[in-house]
Amino acid sequence: MAQVKIYDVIVVGAGHAGCEAAYATAKMGYRTLLLTLNFTNIAFMPCNPSVGGPGKGHLVREVDALGGLIGRVTDLAHLQMRSLNTQKGPAVQALRAQVDKRRYQEIMLGILEREPLIHLRQGEIVDLERVGSEGVSWRLELSTGIILEAPVVILAAGTFFQGTVHIGLVSFPSGPQGQHPSVSLPQKLAAEGIRFRRFKTGTSARLRRRSLNFEAMIEQPGEETPHGFSFWIPWQPRLAASCWLTYTNERTHEIIRKNLHQAPMYCGAITGVGTRYCPAIEGKVVNFPDRPRHQVFIEPESAGTDEVYVAGLSSSLPEAIQEEFIRTVPGLERAEIVRPGYAIEYDVVAAEQLTPFLQLKECPGLFCAGQINGTSGYEEAAAQGIIAGINAGLYLKGETPFLPRRDEAYIGVLLDDLITKELDEPYRVMTSFAEFRLSLRQENADLRLAEYGYKYGLLADAEYERFLAKKERIEEIRATLEKTAFDPESEAGRKITELTGITLKQRISLAELLQKPGVSFQMLQEVYTQLPPGKDEGRVVENQIKYQGYLTREAKMAERLRKMEEKRIPPGFDYNQVPNLSTAAREKLSRVAPLTIGQAARISGVGPADLSALLIWMEARVNR
Amino acid sequence: MREETIVAVATPPGEGGIGVIRISGPQAQAIGEKILRHPSGKTITTWPERKVRLGVVISSEEKVIDEVIFFFFRAPRSYTGEDVLEIQGHGGQKNMELILSAAMAAGARPAEPGEFTKRAFLNGRIDLAQAEAVIDLITAQTDLAHRAAQEQLRGRLSDYLHQCEEKLLAVLAQIEAALDFPEDEIPDLDRKEAMGAIAEVAKELAALAAQAEKGRILREAATVVLAGKPNVGKSSLLNRLLGEERAIVTPIPGTTRDFVAEISNLQGLPVRLVDTAGLRETSDPLEQEGVRRTWHWVEKAELILIVLDAAAGLSAEEEQLIREVKEKKRVFIVLNKSDLPPRLTADGVAGRFPGLPVLTVSTVSGEGLEDLEEKIREALVGKDFGREHPVIVTSLRHKDALERAGSYLQDVLAGLRDGLSEDLLSVDLRAALAALGEITGRAVSDEVIAAIFSRFCIGK
Repeated sequence: MAQVKIYDVIVVGAGHAGCEAAYATAKMGYRTLLLTLNFTNIAFMPCNPSVGGPGKGHLVREVDALGGLIGRVTDLAHLQMRSLNTQKGPAVQALRAQVDKRRYQEIMLGILEREPLIHLRQGEIVDLERVGSEGVSWRLELSTGIILEAPVVILAAGTFFQGTVHIGLVSFPSGPQGQHPSVSLPQKLAAEGIRFRRFKTGTSARLRRRSLNFEAMIEQPGEETPHGFSFWIPWQPRLAASCWLTYTNERTHEIIRKNLHQAPMYCGAITGVGTRYCPAIEGKVVNFPDRPRHQVFIEPESAGTDEVYVAGLSSSLPEAIQEEFIRTVPGLERAEIVRPGYAIEYDVVAAEQLTPFLQLKECPGLFCAGQINGTSGYEEAAAQGIIAGINAGLYLKGETPFLPRRDEAYIGVLLDDLITKELDEPYRVMTSFAEFRLSLRQENADLRLAEYGYKYGLLADAEYERFLAKKERIEEIRATLEKTAFDPESEAGRKITELTGITLKQRISLAELLQKPGVSFQMLQEVYTQLPPGKDEGRVVENQIKYQGYLTREAKMAERLRKMEEKRIPPGFDYNQVPNLSTAAREKLSRVAPLTIGQAARISGVGPADLSALLIWMEARVNR
Repeated sequence: MREETIVAVATPPGEGGIGVIRISGPQAQAIGEKILRHPSGKTITTWPERKVRLGVVISSEEKVIDEVIFFFFRAPRSYTGEDVLEIQGHGGQKNMELILSAAMAAGARPAEPGEFTKRAFLNGRIDLAQAEAVIDLITAQTDLAHRAAQEQLRGRLSDYLHQCEEKLLAVLAQIEAALDFPEDEIPDLDRKEAMGAIAEVAKELAALAAQAEKGRILREAATVVLAGKPNVGKSSLLNRLLGEERAIVTPIPGTTRDFVAEISNLQGLPVRLVDTAGLRETSDPLEQEGVRRTWHWVEKAELILIVLDAAAGLSAEEEQLIREVKEKKRVFIVLNKSDLPPRLTADGVAGRFPGLPVLTVSTVSGEGLEDLEEKIREALVGKDFGREHPVIVTSLRHKDALERAGSYLQDVLAGLRDGLSEDLLSVDLRAALAALGEITGRAVSDEVIAAIFSRFCIGK
């Protein structure tokens, strides 16, 4: 038998989840093998060349606050940045970057290569087995005969498991964008008792830039945003490229309607479940027949290539039909397709097999992260990657798992939704999912999470010290605003009226003034020049003070939730022993196996009476 | 963390002699201070443990609701292990609900099924077997037939509220879609239109909540008192109103021979008709007792019919009676025509008592009776009762949820007017939907996502 190569951690797949996971375990001190089917495709973006947006952008900030990579790599690789929802209240404001895909890959590769504990390697796993009687270990065999072994394996295989690509009536086994699918590994996992579901996603065609007429489209330049995603590296805004907006029309829709019999989504070729928020153009035309037009965005893929992405025209119609309808769109009349759009079906791990910290319940040391868990999006993948990485490290240390709460992070919302909601489509985070949305702002992600990042070893001392200094400045600004007050007749009082239009009736503190609509921190800086400096800090304080009432309300709600989260349900708990549970609740609870009473409460079909019965039984028999 | 303070009726529903209200949690004493007074009306300042004390419960408008005895148990020496205030009042659904309302207005929230037991158990006050027995009881009750009836009622209410929820969801989906998909073509929120839609729902909910009182009348019968001098035809009127064909349900216990109180089905509405002895000042001890009791019934009544004999004219005594009673209660003057020539006309009486309805009937021929019944019904539950709303709210918990939803909607309306940002509007709108969800069982978060995707074409 070949010599066995032993690692602490093996990460399977080097996409957005895998890279974060490997980086995290390496930072925690573990020898990590990052295994990829194709070394050229590390941190590849098979769909749109953009990162962020509401919810997703929040995730990026959070991963960054924990010490992860997606934020800094995006900042370094961005072509343009925009601030979204600037008129809509601080909680939903978010960054969205257009990213140079190739640069993104290069930068990520560079970071991973510089990590001494990460070993990058290309290879396809053909066998997986559980070894060791005491501590469980996992033995993997590559197609080239190499044998690998580690106590922890993190599966981050994206959409590669049993991938099938559909283009029109043609279909073939494939990973995304012409890559090899992974066929043996899912079979081996199935043999270990792991259950899969079939999901579907898709992407649009790529076009040749110089075949397009940009005169007929509306330019969408970037902005000089005041900050990027990362809390830790200096922000250098770039306006390297524009996007372009154009629209479909009735002719486009007519062609699509006429060819639905060749659309795999409509002719029965695809059985996997697709998403509502990222529909193919076929779906938009069918579901919204009254819409005369749909938006189409042309987005640059990379500064180093002529290839452009066509957002809004995701399709799995035959390539010839794709070309035909694309050419009805103003500006795309002579478009040349570089790669066709396609739909891909793939196996995902049925989420009820996962703990919220992403370990497979029945397989000690086996973690799953990213699209393999039924999510979609680079950001969602990265978030799971870092969580799986940190928890793999904690597993090796024998410490309590790290699980951010719903009131603490979008990451917490994502993980909790993943296991309490039974997904019926690929999951994408939305700000609407966050019941503590006002607290989970992009500007305070570091305040919420950097402590953890440092505690688990992902943030360096220098970074942590900067964070502490920032926190201090925030406190200082806040205290100054609270203790500084002005009389209406004073110089500053008149300045206030002049700047804000508010006539003061009595002495007012700057904090009280800031609560008034239309008053900003910036105005206060003009009124009172001795305010401690700090743009980012000022933004944090402004939001804290302006939304105090609402934030207090959320904090109360969170407190109630926390109490429920503290009541843990032991693993393997048998719900059949508990009398008085409704049948529906018993069945759901058994399947999902929540970790806490709080989670149990969020499972649909579990009512207050069920919870009381469960609590009483549990507290008595288990926790004493 | 400080627990919320919860309140519930601890005695089984129905007309028991004594009803017990239990309040548990850190606010128990504070709530007691708000809703309890000494019988003299003085504020209660001392709260000795486990002492039986006499007091009155007052409403938030400082009106006396009931004479009660109460006990205070300080944590951890109580059933739940928390501060507990136990109030024993006169049984009867309405009374219990009034006390509950007062406690809720003072800051308690209605307890969930089994919540007292849960707290008791978690605080180590009862053991597992005891706790399970109580939970058994709670789940067993769920299977009872009367629970089924309640569930059915709840189902009808849910169906009705569904329309309200849909309207609110439409606004919420619009807000949320625009927040989550700023780069899709989501039309901006039309604030004026949203205000219209929300104001409409707020009105609906207010009407429903207001009906809760009428729902109680339907369940428990309204009290209508017949007053007036002897021999003006009160008893004949009573008999006419009861009618032979109408079911006589039950004589009210505790009535003396001076009183007749019967429950009559008045155009589908259960009405307790009380015939009284008289109201004049008298030195006869027996009659004095009668007068005292009459006033007791007047206090309890929803409506007073003062019966006058049209042939007899209006005495000073009657005139004073009318003036006194109308200060306290809603009054109808019923002019009873006999065979003798009338000395009083409806217009004449109406002229003396502006604002009081005067109705002419003949207990001999039955003339005017139907009109009287119609007017009584209208006075008690409104003209369109049963027609204006297909459902009636009978549960105080539901009423509470409806009122909370309504109050959140007022916040949304104010926010829409004042230009509050959408992420904040969403908070109150969700809170309103969550309150309705307590009745309908729908989860806002799932519904709003579905609404977003069914309404808007999302996806770059």
